[in-house]
Amino acid sequence: MNKKKETAMFKQPVSSSDFDRNFRSEVMKHPDASGLSACFGCGTCTAGCPIHEVFPEYDPRKLAKMVKLGMRKQVLSSPYIWYCATCHNCEQHCPQNVKFFNVLNVLKNMAAKEGYAPSCWIQQTEQVAKTGIVFSTEEKWVKKREELLLPSLKLEGKDAKKIIEFGGVNKIKLKVNFE
Amino acid sequence: MNKYALFLGCTTPTKVPQYELASRWVCKYFGIELIDIKDFICCGINQVNLSIEAGLLMASMNLALAEAKELDILTLCAACTGALAEAIERLKDDTTKNRVNEKLGEFGLEYKGRTKVKHISRVLYEDVGIERIKEEVKKDLSGFCVAPHYGCHYLKPKSAFEGFEEPDNPRSLHQLISAIGAQPVNYEALDLCCGGKVFPVSEDLADSLVQKKLDSLKNKRIDAMVLQCQTCYLMYSDRQKEINKKSGKQYNLPIILYPQLLGVALGADPVKNLGFNLHTVSVDKVLEKIA
Repeated sequence: MNKKKETAMFKQPVSSSDFDRNFRSEVMKHPDASGLSACFGCGTCTAGCPIHEVFPEYDPRKLAKMVKLGMRKQVLSSPYIWYCATCHNCEQHCPQNVKFFNVLNVLKNMAAKEGYAPSCWIQQTEQVAKTGIVFSTEEKWVKKREELLLPSLKLEGKDAKKIIEFGGVNKIKLKVNFE
Repeated sequence: MNKYALFLGCTTPTKVPQYELASRWVCKYFGIELIDIKDFICCGINQVNLSIEAGLLMASMNLALAEAKELDILTLCAACTGALAEAIERLKDDTTKNRVNEKLGEFGLEYKGRTKVKHISRVLYEDVGIERIKEEVKKDLSGFCVAPHYGCHYLKPKSAFEGFEEPDNPRSLHQLISAIGAQPVNYEALDLCCGGKVFPVSEDLADSLVQKKLDSLKNKRIDAMVLQCQTCYLMYSDRQKEINKKSGKQYNLPIILYPQLLGVALGADPVKNLGFNLHTVSVDKVLEKIA
């Protein structure tokens, strides 16, 4: 993570003529993000965000505003949208019941489709398609389970692979140099 | 007798087997039968990052597998609990359910909406009950002070848990700790997230959250942190060791899982039944005091 580089990226002014007027409706037409239309920008989400507290550049309110303005490229190519710790604090206190955790997932899904996603999530999904879980089979823990008399795991990814494909994850092709 | 399908998740059975060991032991003690379903797959919580639909399908497949055996699910991981509970909430919508079932049909599965999900602590709290736990305590744990850590997905999103807890003021783990005679200590950063879900993306951010929690506990008179999720466990335990190296500070806070502490109170063997020998941050002081 190169915090300095990202900071610079966010400080570059973007001309309103570069805004994509359709972006807002493109995001909000997804049922998981439709609630964003009710956001009046109070910033309660940001105030309760643990990531914002340790890294102030990460700011849910700012991201919400950027979506509404139509800053398509800046939002979808931003590493920031992947920094959510998934704690749900933002929605827990939102006076407008915006489920920003879900909004972020919609943004992440859109970003991934366009090739912007951290490789860790792609790799993890590939792993699930092999063993059904996010880890590979390692002698170390397989043996430990035997020693502890715990039942063996199936570690078969056939069904997981198929169900993941139904969800379209296999179609994601990453652009180089993201991250 | 209560019977549940045991949903192990990915991390507990591979990285934190002591949690599984202790959980199986305490469930057996209270007559809760756990059924292993070999076909369970990852709950899908991280796949949501790339495709909300893929995550939902994965969770739904697990729900359908348990439902085929007419069982509710007992989880160990807070995140699996959240992912499965959230899927149940989504599947209440018939359009969503039909769409999902169309895909599950390819595996000979269907989710009708009967299977529910409960975290092991909720099962202990609701099915076994505080009074019964109190009656069974064999070891005096008075004077053993612990910081509870709930795990975000054990509580949130609130709508997925049918009013089980108030996320801003959770009580169940506090009461489970008190029930066995130990003392839950309140602290400012009680609701601070462990950072486990951002760790694969940014170690720095995740470690900052871990360190913040450890700092908030530094001057408290506590013997251990007690938690109920293996990912939270790995963050506060294994990352604690890394943070010690990186920061030059020495946080020597023992991290234990609630079923381990409960097991001790019920008279289980700390090593053989509860895996106290499998910890990365030393729990010797804990054992000296209570075992």
